Parts: sequence; structure tokens; C-alpha cells
Amino acid sequence: MKDRLDFYNSYKEEHRIFNNRVQRFWAVFGVLISIYTLIILDDVWLFLLTLAMMTTIGAWGLNIVSGFAGQISLAHGAFIGIGTYTAFVLGGNIGSSVLSYGLDMAIWLPLSGIVPMLFGILISPVTSKLKGLNLGLFSIGIVYFVLHIFQNFRTVTGGSGLGRKSPDFVFLGFNFENGITIGNLVLNENNLIALFSLVILILSGFGVKNIARTKTGRAFFSIRDRDIAAEAIGVDLLRYKGIAYAISSFYAGICGALLFTFTGGVEPNQFNFVYSVTFIAIVIIGGAGTVLGPLFGSFFFILMPSVIQEIIHFFGLFEQSSLLNLAQIERLVFGIFIIVFLIFEPRGLWGIWFRLRNYFKAWPFSY
Amino acid sequence: MVELSSLLKFEDVSLSFGGITALKNVSFDVKEKSITSIIGPNGAGKTSVFNCISGIYSPDSGNIFFEDANITNMRPNKIAELGIARTFQNIELFENLSVLENILTGVHRRLDYGILSGLFYSSKAKKGELYARKEAEDIIDFLEIEEYRYSYVMSLPYGIQKRVELGRALALAPKLILLDEPAAGMNNEETEDIARFIIDINEELKISVLLVDHDMNMVTDIAHEITVLNFGEKIADGTPNEVIENSSVIEAYVGSSKK
Repeated sequence: MKDRLDFYNSYKEEHRIFNNRVQRFWAVFGVLISIYTLIILDDVWLFLLTLAMMTTIGAWGLNIVSGFAGQISLAHGAFIGIGTYTAFVLGGNIGSSVLSYGLDMAIWLPLSGIVPMLFGILISPVTSKLKGLNLGLFSIGIVYFVLHIFQNFRTVTGGSGLGRKSPDFVFLGFNFENGITIGNLVLNENNLIALFSLVILILSGFGVKNIARTKTGRAFFSIRDRDIAAEAIGVDLLRYKGIAYAISSFYAGICGALLFTFTGGVEPNQFNFVYSVTFIAIVIIGGAGTVLGPLFGSFFFILMPSVIQEIIHFFGLFEQSSLLNLAQIERLVFGIFIIVFLIFEPRGLWGIWFRLRNYFKAWPFSY
Repeated sequence: MVELSSLLKFEDVSLSFGGITALKNVSFDVKEKSITSIIGPNGAGKTSVFNCISGIYSPDSGNIFFEDANITNMRPNKIAELGIARTFQNIELFENLSVLENILTGVHRRLDYGILSGLFYSSKAKKGELYARKEAEDIIDFLEIEEYRYSYVMSLPYGIQKRVELGRALALAPKLILLDEPAAGMNNEETEDIARFIIDINEELKISVLLVDHDMNMVTDIAHEITVLNFGEKIADGTPNEVIENSSVIEAYVGSSKK
């Protein structure tokens, strides 16, 4: 009996996140492999992996409000924008033409989550009373409202078409630019940022998992599935919808702050409607309502275009073609992927992973 | 028999939707530790009574008292917190969750750890979750649905889904449970099971039951008191024997023999 993976002696054992040997092994192995990869790489792939990790945090945010609590939000990009500008104002280098305070990352990173969270709570009396399409339309309104402010509030954003530069990664007085040398291992700025994002990613991931396995998450799921029944068992709809928005906006803000500090600067029009839709695509491709789905979705979304390009290069396809250039082909293939997913795998990449895992769990039996 | 005090008082309640009167000056009592039943032909207003009690509708006039609190215009979640649980006529389970998670969701109002301790899974949250699991497992044992614990509710047969919904309502540890047609669409054997569970809920768990059903055999067997509605008006009440002898009840159900 002891060797059976699904045999538990107590509820406490079963309630753990990694509740058997195999899962614990893969968790540790996965983290070690990630750290190793992020240390040895130093090229465009390191850049993309870092972007994917940062994007995952934002996708998790959207997943909490839309995937868990079932509230359509097309305004996720706006919350990301608010977080980004909070970080830029607080952390920006003093002396530039835009408002900057030159603070440490230990201050601006948490605040860039808290400010969008407060904005989320501010609009929650309205969002909590709306449902379905009406909520969707309201959130589109939020996108354009916030975008307009970004475009015209020049002292903060630098204005439309100009934008502003990002703050530096200075954490507790240590500037990432200096790098670290341990023995003959040299970690430059990019490696450090990547490792830092890995830490934030893992912390955020545990947050999402903890929401999903406690009463907050169950309240969200109940609202998503049957709001009337949820209220009849004592779930305060308005309160929990507000909480979903607040947590989601916090994740969005952290995502924005890291992402655009990493890319070096931002222009207000970045946070347009399409940007919000991109996040919806990521969550759907990955698998809405699951914990790991947005992680798969983000990595797929960020890495796939480059993978497609590599493949095109490798086979020397379309090199001579004048009809479509490389970037267009890459977008086209990517679009086809999204369509195929929506039709054949509604549970997203998570669904594929789930079936594969169950197959190998039961191997060599078919079920 | 000792006169029991009222747990729920439904006083002179009227409810209408536009020109249609759903309830007209309906009054009745649910005594503590009793099984009370509301019967009546289709469209008599039985489910409207339930929706008024659980706060989904607010009545146009009249008052509803639970213990000493006036719950007439309270929000449904506040009413649930006072200790009234309900099931629905058409199953309203959370379809993307497993049986266990559905029942755990029912324990919601009894868990007092905050959002932040949930987010960090603090020792308080951990303790709360273990308590919730224990409560949920007790209910799963009680309803004999152990084998379905990890199954997703959509994949289960109708009779089991009804039982899971009953389990979710029990997870609130209510003082009063409202059952809306628990035996609808079930065969004799399943109806017997449900009837047995209702009696156990009442006698073992000491929960008062308010029951709506069409199955007259079951209702007259298990109910202590019956209220009969027809077209939104109360036409009779009393013990099962009194009610089935009542001429206006017979008239409502099978029609009058008089010219």
C-alpha cells in the first residue's frame, strides 16, 4: 500500500500542493532545470524566457477574474498599464523630463501591484453588479478611458508617440547591471533579471494555487458556475467579485512593472484594446480556470513565433517568396494554431498536458 | 405532545409579477424540529414561497421571521448565514467541480480565515481547510456517496446529483433546510432513499425540514404538517390525515363532483 502514489494516511497529506513522491520530484527537478537554463543561456532565448515568465504573472491575474470567477474582463491591459506607470514614476531615474522619484525596486514593485488593486476595488461597485456581455462592454470602456489618460497625462507617461524610459533593476541597493561573479561563474544583468523573475513567478504561482484550494477559490468557482446557488449557500457575490478584481489587478500590476522595466521603456498606445485581447488569447490557449494553463499559454505565446521562424529558417522555406515575408508567415501559422486549439482542444494546452499525464500515470494500461 | 415553538413564520405574504399573483396573503409556520410540507398543483406558488424565504424574491407585502430576525428583505447570503439552506428544483450544482468540492463550498460560511491567510495558506487557513474536509467527509458518509467523492458532478446520474445537492445544503450546518422537489424524476427505490435521508436529517441531525413535492405518498408518510396552496392562496393546513380528508384539497387536485 505504501508504494501507491494515491494512498494517503491523512487529509493533511492529501491537501499538500505536491502530494506524492513523483510530484515532489518533478517540482524540484523542474526548478533546478529552470535555474540551470537561466544561468547558462545568454541570447535571444533568455530574453524570450524572461518575457514569458513575466507574461505568465499577468495571465494568472486574468485567469483569476475570468477563469476562476467567470467575470469577463477586457480591461486587463489597462490594469497592467496602471501598474507599469506606477513602477515608472516611483522607480524612474531622477532628472528625466517626466515625473520620477528614483526609488528602490523593493518599494516600487509591491506598490505597482497595490495601485492597480486599489483601482480595481474602486470600480468594483460597478463591475460587481454587471454580468456577461454588459460587464464585457463596461470593461472595454475602461480600456479606452485609461488609454486616453495615458495618452494625455504627459508628465507621467511622456505622451502618445513618445513614451518614457524604464527604471533600473535596483533591488535593496544592488544594481543588477553590475552582475555577480561566483567563482568562475559570471552572471550578467540578463541572467539576474531572469532568475529574479523565476522567484516572483514561483511565488505568484503558489498564490494562485492557494487561492484555488481554499475557500476564496471555491467561492470564485461557485460564482462562475451558478451565481444564484452561490448566494444561497452564503457567498457574498459583491464582495467576492470585488476580491477577484482586486487580486487580478494586483497580478496585472506586477506583470506590467516587470515586463516593461525589462524591455526598457513603454509608449502609452501599448496598452490598447488589442493588448487586453492578447491576454485573453493566452489564457484560452493555455486553459482557462486552471492553475497551470496560463503558464503554458504564456510560454506558447511568447516562444512559438520564434520557434516557427527557426523552423522556417531551418528548412529554408519561403526564402525566395515575395508573396509573404517571414513575419507574416509566422503570424499566420500562429493564428492557425489558435483556431485549431479553440476547435479541437477547448481545455487548452492544460487539457493536452492532463491527458498525457494520465496516460503515463496508468502506463502500460490504457486506463 | 408538547407545543413546539415556531422556527420560521410566514406572515401574510403576497407576491406578484406584473399582473400575475404568485402568492396572496399566505401564512404558515414551520415548527422547530419538524418536517413541514407545502403541496399544491402546478403553478400554486410553492417555489415562490421558497424563493421568498431564501431571499431570491422580495415579497410585495407581509413579513417572514426566522427565529427572531425579520428576513423579509435580506440578501440571500445573509439569510444563508442565519442558518437556512436550500436545494433547487432543477439541480444547481457547480458543474465544473467535483462532488467533494461542491460540498466543501457549502462549508464556506463556517470558515472564518481571511483572504490573505488563504493566499499564503497560513496555519489558520490550513486548520480551516482540514476542518472543512472533515465536515464534508461526514456528510459524504451520511449520504453514502463515498465512491463519487472525486467525480465531476456532471458525469453523475440524476439521483446522485440530487443527493450531492442535498449534501451541499447540509454542509451549511443549517437550522432549517428547504427541499424543492427532492424526489422529482426519481423511481420508487430512489424516492424511498431520499425519504429515508429526509427523516434522518430531521431526527439524527435535528434539522427542521420544509419540503415541496408532488409525490403525495412520500409527503403524507414523512411530513408532520402540511400546507396546501392553490393559485397562490392557502386552502388548507394541518396534519397529513386532516389534509387528505379536506374537501377543498380534493377539489383542487381531482375536481368537484357537484354541479
